[in-house]
Amino acid sequence: MSAEAETPTVDEPIVPSPGSTGPSGSPGRRLPLGRLIAALLLVVLAAVPLFVAQFPTSMLARMLIFALLAVSLDLLVGITGLPSLGHAAYFGVGAYTAGLVAKHWTAAAPIPLVAAVVVAAFAAAATGWLAVRSHGVFFLMLTLAIGELIQQLSESWSDVTGGDNGLYGIPAVEVAGEPLVLVGYVYWYVLIFAVLGFAVIWAVSRSPFGAALRGIRDNEARMRSLGYSPFRYKLAGFVIAGAVAGLGGGLLAVQQQLVTPADLGFTTSALALLAVAVGGAGSLWGPAIGAALVVLIRDVYGPDLDGHGTLVLGVVFIVAVYSLRHGIAGLATTQFRRGPGRQTEKADG
Amino acid sequence: MTEWFADNFVSILNGLAIGSLLFILAVGLSLVFGMMDVLNLGHGALYLIGAYVGFQFTGGISSWGGFLTALAVAAAFGLVAGLILSVATEPLVGRGHLDQALLTLGVALVVAEVISIIFGDDVQNVVAPPGLNESIQVFGNTYPAYRLALIGVGAVLAIVVWLVIEKSSLGALIRASVSDREMVSSVGVDNRKVKAGVFAFGSMLAALAGVLGGPVYGARTGLDETVLLLALVVIVIGGLGSVRGALIGSLVIGQVESLGRANLPEFASFMLFGALAVVLIVRPRGLFGSKVGAP
Amino acid sequence: MTQPVFSRRNALGLFGLAGLAATAGCGSSVGGGSSAGSSASGGGGAIKVGLVIPQDGVYTPLGVDMKNGWDLFLERHDGMLGGYEVETVIGDEGEGPDTGVPAIQGLIQRDNVDVLVGIVNSASALGAAEAVAAAKKVLVISNAGANAVTGDARNPYIWRASFNNAQAAFAMGEYLASQQPEGGVFLMAPDYAAGQETFVAFKASYEGGGGTIAGEALTPFGTTQDFQPFLSAIPGSGAGATFVFYSGGEAVSFVQQYAGFGLKDTVPLYGSGFLTEGSVLEAQGEAAVGIQTALHYSTEIDNPANTEFVEAYQKAYDVLPTCFAVQTWDAALVLDLALADAADLSGDAVSEALGGVGEISDSPRGAWTFDGQSPKHVEYLREVQEGDGGLINVVVEELGEYGQ
Repeated sequence: MSAEAETPTVDEPIVPSPGSTGPSGSPGRRLPLGRLIAALLLVVLAAVPLFVAQFPTSMLARMLIFALLAVSLDLLVGITGLPSLGHAAYFGVGAYTAGLVAKHWTAAAPIPLVAAVVVAAFAAAATGWLAVRSHGVFFLMLTLAIGELIQQLSESWSDVTGGDNGLYGIPAVEVAGEPLVLVGYVYWYVLIFAVLGFAVIWAVSRSPFGAALRGIRDNEARMRSLGYSPFRYKLAGFVIAGAVAGLGGGLLAVQQQLVTPADLGFTTSALALLAVAVGGAGSLWGPAIGAALVVLIRDVYGPDLDGHGTLVLGVVFIVAVYSLRHGIAGLATTQFRRGPGRQTEKADG
Repeated sequence: MTEWFADNFVSILNGLAIGSLLFILAVGLSLVFGMMDVLNLGHGALYLIGAYVGFQFTGGISSWGGFLTALAVAAAFGLVAGLILSVATEPLVGRGHLDQALLTLGVALVVAEVISIIFGDDVQNVVAPPGLNESIQVFGNTYPAYRLALIGVGAVLAIVVWLVIEKSSLGALIRASVSDREMVSSVGVDNRKVKAGVFAFGSMLAALAGVLGGPVYGARTGLDETVLLLALVVIVIGGLGSVRGALIGSLVIGQVESLGRANLPEFASFMLFGALAVVLIVRPRGLFGSKVGAP
Repeated sequence: MTQPVFSRRNALGLFGLAGLAATAGCGSSVGGGSSAGSSASGGGGAIKVGLVIPQDGVYTPLGVDMKNGWDLFLERHDGMLGGYEVETVIGDEGEGPDTGVPAIQGLIQRDNVDVLVGIVNSASALGAAEAVAAAKKVLVISNAGANAVTGDARNPYIWRASFNNAQAAFAMGEYLASQQPEGGVFLMAPDYAAGQETFVAFKASYEGGGGTIAGEALTPFGTTQDFQPFLSAIPGSGAGATFVFYSGGEAVSFVQQYAGFGLKDTVPLYGSGFLTEGSVLEAQGEAAVGIQTALHYSTEIDNPANTEFVEAYQKAYDVLPTCFAVQTWDAALVLDLALADAADLSGDAVSEALGGVGEISDSPRGAWTFDGQSPKHVEYLREVQEGDGGLINVVVEELGEYGQ
C-alpha cells in the first residue's frame, strides 16, 4: 500500500506538476507538447463551423456538451474516487433552470447559464451533503436513488417543468440583443463555455485541492490522519462537479431548445459513467473522447443501426473494461504500462 | 379499522403477490452482493430474459405445457447466465468493485438490446396457464387466481431457501462467505466455486421470476430497468446478504407498490427512492444486513 | 520516451477528427440559412419528404402502421404527390423528444427535406415546432394529438391530418351524458399531456350534459404495470361506468386487469378508441369484447373509400389497418391535393395550399375538413365484437362531427 504513495512517476504526483494536459511523468518535457496539442485542437474545433455542414456541427455541439458532463463526472469518479450513477441529475437541473430562465425571464447570455450553474451547485450541495457520507458501491446506489428522485420530481412538477412533455419552446440565446439562430453561432457559444468548464475542472485537478482529492481517493484514513477533513473536501468536489455538470445542462438547453426528464435520468447517468470508464477515469481528456464516442455511436450512427446503437456501446464498453484497463487515456500514456498496478479507478472508500 | 381493511383488502393481497415476486427476484441479488460485494446491475436483464422466454413459449395462449417449458428454459438460461457472469467478473476482482459493477452494467445493456432486436419493441403478453387464468372470490372480492398462486409459490420458495441457507451445510458455507470470505478461503474452500454457485442460483431465480411475473407485468423493453431498481430498493432496505432481509424487504416494498400507490399515488415513487436513500445514509447494511458499510 | 506517446496522442486526436470527417459534409454552418429543397414551380420535379416515425421503443408498432399507410398511398399513386415524384427519407423518432427532436433536426439540416410527415409523440412535435418554423418547412402530423400543437403553440407550418386528444373524449362525454349511467362515471388515464387533455375534454362535455364524476385517477405514465391499486377504487365509488384513455402496452395491461379483477361484468368500460385499436386488440383477446370506444376511424366504416382501402391494405400487409395507417394515408392524400395547387415547394406556398384544400372527400374515415390546422371529422362509436378473422371494432353509431 505505502509503495504507491512513494512512486512519483506514476500518474499524477501528489505535488502537482505545472502544465501538461494529461497523466504524465516528467513535467519538463511534457510541457510544450501537451499544450501544443491542446492549442491545435482548439483551433480545429473553432474552425469547424466554417467548413462543416449544419448537421455535423450540431452533432459536434452535442458531443461538447456531453463531454463536459463526462469530464465533470470524472472529477468525481477518477479524481475523488466517488462513482456516481446519478450525476445527470445536476446536468438536468442546470438544463431546466436555464430553460426556465430563458423562457420566463431573459434569454440574454450568459444569464441562463449562470443561473444553471448556481442552481445546480445548490442541488449538488444539498444532496451531496448526504451522499458523500457513503462509500464505494453504497455511494453508487445512493446517487442512483437521488438521481431517480430528481427525475421523478421533474416528471411530477409538471406545472413548472412541463412534466413528461418536457420544457419546450426555449427561445434561442441572445448575445448583445441578437438571438443566435444559425447553427454555427450556437456551436461557438457552446464551444466557448465548454472550454471554460473544462478549464475549470482542469485547474481544480492541477491544484493542491485536486491533489488532496486524489489523496482521499487513494487512502482516506491516511489523509484524515494528516489533518484533512475528507468530508469537506469530498463535498466541495461534489459541488464543483455538480456545478460544471449544470453548466453542461445549461448549454444543452441552448443547443436542443428542449429539456426532458430523460436528460437527467438513469440512462444518461449510466452513459456518462460509461464514457468516463471507456475514456479513462482520472485523465479528464479521456472521458471527453469517451463522451464523443458515445454521442457518435448513439446519435450519429444510431439511426443507421435501427436505433440499436446502444448495443454497440455496450459491447465497446465490455471490451474496454477488460482490455483498456485505464480507458483510452491508458492507451496514450505508456506510463500506465509500467510498474505495479496503480489504479486510478480505485473507487472504494 | 375493519372497514379500512375491507376496502383495502385487495390491495393488501396484491401487495403480497408482488412481494412474493420481488422476493424470488431479489434474494439472488442480495446473496451475491453480500458474498462478493459484486453489485450485479444486470439482474434486471435476467428477469427480462425470463419474461421473454415466458412469452416465447406461451405465445399469448393459456397452456400448462407452454408455461412449464418456459419455466424450465428460463431456469436453464438463468443458471448459465449466472455462471457466465461469475466467470466474467473473476478477472476484475482485483480491480475494485466499481469495475465489476460497470461490467454487469455493460452486459445488461447488451442483453436488453439483443432482446429488443430479436423480439422487437412491442409490449407482449404472457397468459397464465389454464385453471389459474380466471378470477376467484376471496372474501367477497374478485381476485385473479394466478396472483394467489404466486403468493403460494413465493411462500414455498421462501421456506425452501430458508431451509437451505439456515439448515444445510451448503447454506452454512454461504453464510460464512457472506460474513467473512477471507476466512472461508483460508479454511480451504474455493471461494470462486461458492461464488459461481450463488451467482448461478440467484440468476436462475431472477429468470424464473421473469416467467412467473409474466401474467402480471408482461414482457416489454424497459422492464429490466424498472425491475432492477425495485430489487435494489428491496435488498438495501432488507439488508445485503440476508435472506430474511430480502423477504421482509420484498413484503414491505410489495405493500408500498400496491397499498401505497392506491392510497397515495403521487408519493409512491418518492417513497420508494426516498426510503432507499434514507436507508443508505442511516443504516447502509439495512434491516438485517450482515456487513457494516462494506465498500 | 516522448516519441511513442506523441504519436499515440496525435493518433487519438486524429482519430477523433477522422470520425467527424466521416460524418461531415462539405459546407458551412454560418453562411446563410438552410439550402432550399429541389426544384422549380408547379408540377413536375421531385420532392423530398421526411417521414418521422418511431422505429425503436414502445411506439414501434405505430411506426410500422404509419409507414404502411404512407407506402400504400404512394404505391397506388405511382409514387407521386401533386405531380411531384416523391423521395421518402425516414427519421427514427424513437420513444421521446430526446430522440424525436434530433431526428427531426437531422431531416431538416442533413437531409434537406422539403416537407415533413409523421410524429407519434406530442412532446416531440412540440419540441420541434420552433425548429420547423425557423426552417420554414411544412410538417403534416399524422398522429401527435396534443391540443397545443395546433392550438396555443401553433405556427403556420404545422398541420395535422390525425386528430387532437380532446375530440374522442368530448364525443364520448356527450354520449355518456345522454346515457346517464347510474352512479356516474369513473375516469382513468395516464398522467401526461394526452391523458390530462382527455380528462379535461370529457369532463367538459359530460358534466356539461349533467353527468356526475364518481371518481378519477391519473396513473403514472409509462411506469404503471399493475393497475390494481387504482382499479380497487372503482367498486367503492359506486360508478355505473368507467371511461379511460390508454394506448399501446398500457391499454393491453389495463383491459386485461379490468377483466381479471372482475370489473368487466359489473362496471361497463368505455374509452377513447386507442384502447382497442390495432395490435392491442389482439393481445387483449376475450377481455376486450363488449368495450365501447369513440374514435374517428374503424375498419368497419361503410364507405367506398374505406372498403377499397381496407382491402388494399390487407392484401399488401396481411393485417387490418389501424387509425395510425389511415392518418398517414390522409397526410399523403392532403399533400397530394395541396401540392397540385402549390406555387412551389417552399413552406409558405405549401402552407397556403393546405389552407385552400377544402373538403377531403375520399378519405377512408369519411369526409373531413380542416378546422384551423387540424381535422374536423366524424367520431364513431364502436364496440368490440368477434369478427371473421378475430376481434373487430364494429361501428354502432356516428356520434357527430367534432373539430378543435
